[in-house]
Amino acid sequence: MHELSLAKDMTRIIGKVLGGCKPLDTVNITIGPLSGISPESLRFCFTEVAKMEGFGEPRLVITETEAKLICLDCDAEYQAKEFYQGCPLCGSFNRRILSGREFTVDSVEIMEGTD
Amino acid sequence: MCDDITKQTVNILTPVMNKNDRFAASNRELLNGKIIYTLNLISSPGAGKTTLLESMARFFGSKMAVIEGDVQTDRDAERIRKAGCQAWQIETGGSCHLDAEAVNHALGHMDLESDELALLCIENVGNLICPSSYDLGENLKVGLLSLPEGDDKILKYPSLFSRISVLVINKMDLLPHIDFDVNRVIDECRSLNPEVLVFTVSAKTGEGMEEFCDFLENQFSD
Ligand SMILES: Nc1nc2c(ncn2[C@@H]2O[C@H](COP(=O)(O)OP(=O)(O)O)[C@@H](O)[C@H]2O)c(=O)[nH]1
Ligand SMILES: [Mg+2]
Ligand SMILES: [Zn+2]
Repeated sequence: MHELSLAKDMTRIIGKVLGGCKPLDTVNITIGPLSGISPESLRFCFTEVAKMEGFGEPRLVITETEAKLICLDCDAEYQAKEFYQGCPLCGSFNRRILSGREFTVDSVEIMEGTD
Repeated sequence: MCDDITKQTVNILTPVMNKNDRFAASNRELLNGKIIYTLNLISSPGAGKTTLLESMARFFGSKMAVIEGDVQTDRDAERIRKAGCQAWQIETGGSCHLDAEAVNHALGHMDLESDELALLCIENVGNLICPSSYDLGENLKVGLLSLPEGDDKILKYPSLFSRISVLVINKMDLLPHIDFDVNRVIDECRSLNPEVLVFTVSAKTGEGMEEFCDFLENQFSD
């Protein structure tokens, strides 16, 4: 469950930008399908960590991106939602990963007047 | 008024692995500066990481040092020292993975000044999922899979097996007793990672160890 340490990393990053902890309304993050992170267990861990560390009970909005891959057999560039999707043109799994491992905290939303 | 409450949006725009990656970069700079080639060894518990390292320690002797992250007891580090090389035990406190900061801390405790020292092996926590996301500052990520785990593991743990540069298949001495399709494992690993190099060994009997160690020696003598 490295999602627990990732959730703590998230609150550390948010706290640093905000200059401390305050109740949040929403937290927006992006997770790539090849990042090795389980969105469900991250959601579970983040809910607990946020509450424990004084960030309230924010809604966690997860944008799941598609990975970009390039087929090494036919040169096609394609997108995939998970590891098990091969080249749509030739079916090959011989490929290079261009993106899909990202995991970022994009923004937080705070109710005006709650700080 | 509820519908009208204004929300203030604050941009964060920060990769969550930033801090780890900064420590990883600093480890890499330190180790490359001392011309020490570093290996991050990942497998499930019991696949044979420590046994492999013991066997490598007998081959490399004082050219090699080990950071032991596998369990909290000092037992694995002790096994490595007995086999003849420097070993530092990280207290993981039950964590499911090593991070670059823990490795950075360990490096501060080790003697890295010997001219002989050319290879640093980091034994990660036994886990096929969590360690895969953490760059430790290594030159080579090595995945270890052993025969008793079954030949269907590669596609179940794509995050790890797509990121390794070398796959070591261990416990080959058990091949006559276990239904394990080595070619299936190699094919599936290549489907995640076309450039992966594969070694088949028995850390226990020493079978295949010379090829693996020769390969590593070539990496660090380049
Ligand atoms: N038959 C066989 N057993 C092995 C081999 N390598 C390791 N083992 C055994 O597997 C068990 C776990 O090994 P260990 O090195 O502690 O695994 P780790 O948890 O990955 O560090 C021990 O009982 C070892 O003796 C091998 O090549 N063949
Ligand atoms: Mg071990
Ligand atoms: Zn193709």
